[in-house]
Amino acid sequence: MEQTLFYIMATVIVIATIFAISEKHPVHAIVYLVTSFFALAVVFYLLAAPLIAMFEVIIYAGAVMVLFMFVIMMLDQGSPEDAERPPLMHYLPALVLTGITLVSLVLLLTNRSPVAAAAVAPRLVSVKEFAITLFNQYGVAIEIISMQLLFAIVGVLYLGRRRKP
Amino acid sequence: MIVPLTHLLILASILFALGLLCVLIWRSNVIMMLIGIEIMLNAAMLVFVAGSNHWGMADGQVFALMIMAMTSAEVSLALAMVVYLHRRKKTVNVDEFRELRDQ
Amino acid sequence: MKTALELIILLPFLGAIGNILLGRFLPRRVVEITACSVIWGSFFAALYALDTYSAPAVVEVGAWLTSFDLKVPISFCLDPLALSLCLMITFVCGLIHLYSIGYMRDDPGHVRFFALLNLFVGAMLVLVLAENLPLLYLGWEGVGFCSYALIGFWYKEVKNATAGRKAFIVTRIGDIGLAIAIVWIFKVFGTLSITEVNRMGQLVPMEVITALGLLLLLAAMGKSAQAPLMVWLPDAMAGPTPVSAQIHAATMVTAGVYLLMRMFPLIGVSAVVTGAIAVTGAFTAFYAATCALAERDLKRILAYSTISQIGFMMLAVGCGAITAATFHLIVHAFFKALLFLGAGCIITALHHEQDIFRMGGLRRALPGVFWPFLAGALCLAGVPPTGGFFSKDSILTAVWAKGGMFYGALYLVAMFAVFLTAVYTFRMLFVVFGDRLAANSLEPDLHGPVKPLPGIMKIILIPLALLGLVSGIFNLPAYLGNGLLQSFLAPLNAEGGHLSHATELGLQSVAAIVALSGLAVAWWYFGRQRRAMRIARAAQPPTGVTAFLQAGWYVDNLYSLLFIRPYKRLSSILWERIDEGVIDDSLDRMAVQLGRTGQGLGRWGSGRVSAYMLSLACGATLMVGWFAWVVL
Repeated sequence: MEQTLFYIMATVIVIATIFAISEKHPVHAIVYLVTSFFALAVVFYLLAAPLIAMFEVIIYAGAVMVLFMFVIMMLDQGSPEDAERPPLMHYLPALVLTGITLVSLVLLLTNRSPVAAAAVAPRLVSVKEFAITLFNQYGVAIEIISMQLLFAIVGVLYLGRRRKP
Repeated sequence: MIVPLTHLLILASILFALGLLCVLIWRSNVIMMLIGIEIMLNAAMLVFVAGSNHWGMADGQVFALMIMAMTSAEVSLALAMVVYLHRRKKTVNVDEFRELRDQ
Repeated sequence: MKTALELIILLPFLGAIGNILLGRFLPRRVVEITACSVIWGSFFAALYALDTYSAPAVVEVGAWLTSFDLKVPISFCLDPLALSLCLMITFVCGLIHLYSIGYMRDDPGHVRFFALLNLFVGAMLVLVLAENLPLLYLGWEGVGFCSYALIGFWYKEVKNATAGRKAFIVTRIGDIGLAIAIVWIFKVFGTLSITEVNRMGQLVPMEVITALGLLLLLAAMGKSAQAPLMVWLPDAMAGPTPVSAQIHAATMVTAGVYLLMRMFPLIGVSAVVTGAIAVTGAFTAFYAATCALAERDLKRILAYSTISQIGFMMLAVGCGAITAATFHLIVHAFFKALLFLGAGCIITALHHEQDIFRMGGLRRALPGVFWPFLAGALCLAGVPPTGGFFSKDSILTAVWAKGGMFYGALYLVAMFAVFLTAVYTFRMLFVVFGDRLAANSLEPDLHGPVKPLPGIMKIILIPLALLGLVSGIFNLPAYLGNGLLQSFLAPLNAEGGHLSHATELGLQSVAAIVALSGLAVAWWYFGRQRRAMRIARAAQPPTGVTAFLQAGWYVDNLYSLLFIRPYKRLSSILWERIDEGVIDDSLDRMAVQLGRTGQGLGRWGSGRVSAYMLSLACGATLMVGWFAWVVL
């Protein structure tokens, strides 16, 4: 049952993402992406990480994507139907490069010796355990991340300040 | 473990490749490039969470959280910059913004 | 003794350094007095050394080069040979310095001139007194450098600068021989001290000694202008006349002969080497005498006569007659300095006219120059009983004493050279000083009135003339009492046959007759009435033998054909084909290619974010792809 759910979700993720990147209308692309992120959240939940699944929905699908939507609507880009798809010249090298990368990665993964055999039994990582790990071992990383957020706030305030006419 | 780790990693690879494709294709639209970057970051998160699940450790999830925090900072800054640049040049085509180049 | 030696060496150098550093700020008179007084001081120090001299002494003044087993201290060796040469050099050079005061009266470069002249003397004294070969080489090169700078003293004319360069380059060929010989001697003997090396001659095989001797001979050929490296000396006349006098009489050209005399205990045991030295000397004496016969430039005649006389000295060395060589060297220094200084007077008086066929009547116009010049000419021609006669005769006697076919032939050649010497000397004398015929319209008064000479230039000639005439007493032949030099230099001579007084007297009379017959021939050709005819004929371009001799047997042209032109062609090939064509061109092309590559790469950094993205993706793909390729 869980396995079936995972494969379904994987299919949804891939298809939604493909739609998202091939859509020339940014708002539609965002909607497809949100779909993909919801499916990814389900996968996270299946992987016994409910906290991350929750954050995925709240932060990604909620905050970040709404921010995108907000900005797209703020910018006056004219009629989206008139927007052109990128020319073929842009597609070709991108496809080739991505194809090579993907094939190499898949080959590497499938050819791997089965280290995974020694996997421990799956167990739920509780929020408590997560928190202990986070604040015991990665205190410095938290500090750095918070600094980064502070810088981002300062930068955004600077960029968005009202200029004198 | 519901599915083999390899399958998860392949899914992440596909996701990453799609993100890369998005960035490379949408050169004329900086918003779509940012979306591609989000997709790639999500692929990375998927790898971390899968690893965390595979070895039964919380560390992977911690990193996924950090990626999320970093992404939110990055996206807010990047979008602010997009707004700023759009205000100046009335376009979102990245190739139009090349003032940083040393003439 | 040590103080005297140090003074001999240091005074000229002090004068040179003082003049170089301070000369520009001092009045002219002070510079002249400094330059002359240091040389005379050096002379008196040498006199003092002679007074206190008892036995050969080696004096170490200080350390110079010391590394591992190479020990080269600054040490000087005072033996009879060095002492007699020192006295001669300082005395003659002192007179030449005094003369220069008059000669350079109007020249603005007098500071440079006197500084170089002092340096020249200093270098020569180092050469003469040096106890080890590197120090000798230092003096050797110092002399070479000073001669280069002084020959090209009036460097603003290209001709003079070229003559200086020619002297430097030709002598350098010989210097290579000396440098190789020094290194080889160190390799063979493990020491560079001249006295020690001379004592160790028996320890090495004869072939090595022969090779060393030939290398030293090459060095002497370059420095002493012997065949085949004699081409620089006639051109060296481009310098001021006192410089020519100093080069010819006292310092530069005697260095080669001195080197061979110094090393004679080592190289004298090889018959090949002594034979080669003797042949070189005899041939050069003959060659230069023939060239002087046809030359018309006063100074060049004297230059050829120097080459010829040095040839006689080499011949003496080749016969092992060190005394005779030294004797002739000293006497030659006196009369050659005299002749050159006299020539300087004549040339100055005639407003820098050097062609003898445009001179004449100077016997009455310049009596103060004529009489000393006549004395010098008598010495050069070897007319008895001048010093030149005795010294040249002692050489001829030594050659005769060697006996055998080989030396017999050399004796004949030398005798012929003596004859030629007398001829060309008096040809010069008659043409320069002989009376003009008032009626002869072919001899217009070319120069206007004779320019008055500074008194000092004429006064200097007198002591030199007296010395040239009476210097025979330094080394009288055995039948007139024992020679002064003979006993002084006794330990240096090779074993030679001793001749009876009768034979010696006979040989001397032969030499005297030959010299006098040369004089007679010169009179026959250039005396009184015929002089005008010869002058008239000389106006036409030379033909046949005369042209051949006047061009110095075309040796310069031969060298130009054999060495200089192939060398130039080779250099032009190396320059245009190899250097410009291959090396420069390939570098140019590489640079252009790199520049293009750089421009191409520069286009990459266009500031377009999309291009950067694509490059990033390319790089990542390459890495992942390569990783997959390696792992799988």
